[in-house]
Amino acid sequence: MDFALDKKHEMARALFKEFAENEVKPLAQDVDETEEFPAETVAKMAKYGFLGIPVPKEYGGQGCDPLTYTMCVEELAKVCGTTAVIVSAHTSLCIDPIMTYGTEEQKQKYVPDLASGRKLGAFGLTEPGAGTDAQGQQTKAVLDGDEWVLNGSKCFITNGKVADVYIIIAVTGIIEKRGRKMKEISSFIVEKGTPGFSFGTKEKKMGIRGSSTYELIFEDCRIPKENILGAQGKGFGIAMHTLDGGRIGIAAQALGIAEGALERTVAYVKERKQFGRSIAQFQNTQFQLADMATKVEAARLLVYKAAMAKATQRSYSVEAAKAKLYAAEVAMEVTTKAVQLHGGYGYIREYEIERMMRDAKITEIYEGTSEVQRMVISGDLLK
Amino acid sequence: MNLEEYKGVYVFAEQVDNKLSGIAFELLGKAKDLAGDLDTYVAAVVIGSEIKGLADELAAHGAEKVIVVDDPELKVYRTEPYAHALSEVINKYKPEIMLVGATAIGRDLGPRVSARVATGLTADCTQLEIGDFPINPVAGKEQKHNQLLMTRPAFGGNTIATIACPDNRPQMATVRPGVMQKIDKIEGAKAEVEEFNPGFTPDNKYVEIMDVVKAVSETVDIMDAKILVSGGRGVGSPENFRILEELAEALGGEVSCSRAVVDNGWKPKDLQVGQTGKTVRPQVYFAIGISGAIQHVAGMEEADVIIAINKDETAPIFDVADYGIVGDLNKIVPELTKQIKAAAISK
Repeated sequence: MDFALDKKHEMARALFKEFAENEVKPLAQDVDETEEFPAETVAKMAKYGFLGIPVPKEYGGQGCDPLTYTMCVEELAKVCGTTAVIVSAHTSLCIDPIMTYGTEEQKQKYVPDLASGRKLGAFGLTEPGAGTDAQGQQTKAVLDGDEWVLNGSKCFITNGKVADVYIIIAVTGIIEKRGRKMKEISSFIVEKGTPGFSFGTKEKKMGIRGSSTYELIFEDCRIPKENILGAQGKGFGIAMHTLDGGRIGIAAQALGIAEGALERTVAYVKERKQFGRSIAQFQNTQFQLADMATKVEAARLLVYKAAMAKATQRSYSVEAAKAKLYAAEVAMEVTTKAVQLHGGYGYIREYEIERMMRDAKITEIYEGTSEVQRMVISGDLLK
Repeated sequence: MNLEEYKGVYVFAEQVDNKLSGIAFELLGKAKDLAGDLDTYVAAVVIGSEIKGLADELAAHGAEKVIVVDDPELKVYRTEPYAHALSEVINKYKPEIMLVGATAIGRDLGPRVSARVATGLTADCTQLEIGDFPINPVAGKEQKHNQLLMTRPAFGGNTIATIACPDNRPQMATVRPGVMQKIDKIEGAKAEVEEFNPGFTPDNKYVEIMDVVKAVSETVDIMDAKILVSGGRGVGSPENFRILEELAEALGGEVSCSRAVVDNGWKPKDLQVGQTGKTVRPQVYFAIGISGAIQHVAGMEEADVIIAINKDETAPIFDVADYGIVGDLNKIVPELTKQIKAAAISK
């Protein structure tokens, strides 16, 4: 049992931190205000190899472990929730399923471009009628000769429109299971620019406002037969397994947001004076900070443990669910208290702490709500 | 009150600008049925100024008798002289049943008159029939026959009440427009016309009409529309909304849309139905090329009748639709418009 990071991880963290401080932090407020996707930052991250951290070197990645990737998302989130989720969705939700379930041809075709950041990835599962109940899919894929024909739409897709490669989940038929009719769900790789694949609404969000969240529309969109990912009918399992990994990314994002808020708050309470002394000298401030720091530390250990589980275990659903559930709720609580300790200034956009509170809320919702994580955890407990 | 004295089914034949309103003919159609059941006659009461010429038209739609109250005071509808006129008609002719259209005018006039002649009024009826009261015999209570049973939705349509008026005459009802059927015109029919003058003495209850403004609906509020023809992404283009507009025109309805259509910039936001748009409750809602996600359905599921047209038979819209057609809206909608126009002409 060793809780210290080794040299390799320390160096990686220092690199992420430096990049976040110098390249991401100065733009964070502008990205939030303008709701514009930080394309230049993404190009810089591609150059540094941040978009293929856990991808083996032979596929053009950095060949690092999941913990290194987790720390990258965490460090980015300390200064900008938007930038963190761009990396997370691209890596966990698009590259990971292709690496895990793709054929050698698919990996060769897609992964090098994605890992190098020449292309960006996204994941399309959610629909207006299928959120938590992901089985409620309406999007259909029908085999016609040697092409799949997709019809339907997806909503709330992170990296939508800016991404080039999309993992799309769709219904490919109806199967009888123990006398009950069930949807047969499969997953596909769909490229931007395919005729019949367009983008609908850009969502206006409360937080992570620079993240490009779009509706995807498929109208008789034809893709080659070989673009099915994994076996026909295995799509739901692929989606669920992909989300297990994605939850570690979101847990890291939540952790980073909480840490960033805590760091800023510690600095602020030392400077701010009332009643002739710094507000850090009031016991309420001290105890609040103690609680915040303790929770952040507990969250960090859960997140890192989940990242290690992904590196060493076949199944890590429960570890990922616990990490995401706890880190997200800690992020919400810590950012809320951080705004309070900033007083009136905390409510002003110039001070950025309110942005962290807005960004924190989504971590309790996307890639499976906190309630879904509780379902996963209790389901495992009571099996 | 001697109930035996009261005879005949009377309708108030509303006219505006000396033109009979459609509701007058609908009421006559229903009155004919009721009079048949009661073995009595149908009379129309028409009130206005210079309106004697309307009698034949009323006869053609089923009136056997027309009572005309013609006076310059009655040129434009005003509560006091009209209520006085109709009350006096009732006092003189003693109708068994008095029907009034539940229009803006009728809803104002009906209650005034019922209070003056001291009888019961049921408002906004959707069904009228002759039957027994109580409907099922109650021990120790006399069951009266040949009563007018008036049925109306109450509490915003959430309950249906059937109401009778056993002890007073006439039995009065205002009737919802568009519910009753007019009869086919009887060419060359003549009615027995009686002129009646109750005498008008203007007093301070007589309001002065300053100005009558004819509504020109430039901008429509989809929340008020009785019929909505709503299009979704499946319509394909803003130009293609023309076929929906034609259908709406044929039906006297309005066009609305889903969020996808607004997002694409095809229609303005104030036509959007759904959770983030408007909640509508029309009598008929056409959902055309709309998949029927809950975000949309939440805004229209209260419509009385939902008709869905979609090429995907598994679209969720069919779960809430009363009628559905699976197919290409580009073929179905123009055909529907054609058929509706043809049906309207033959009416």
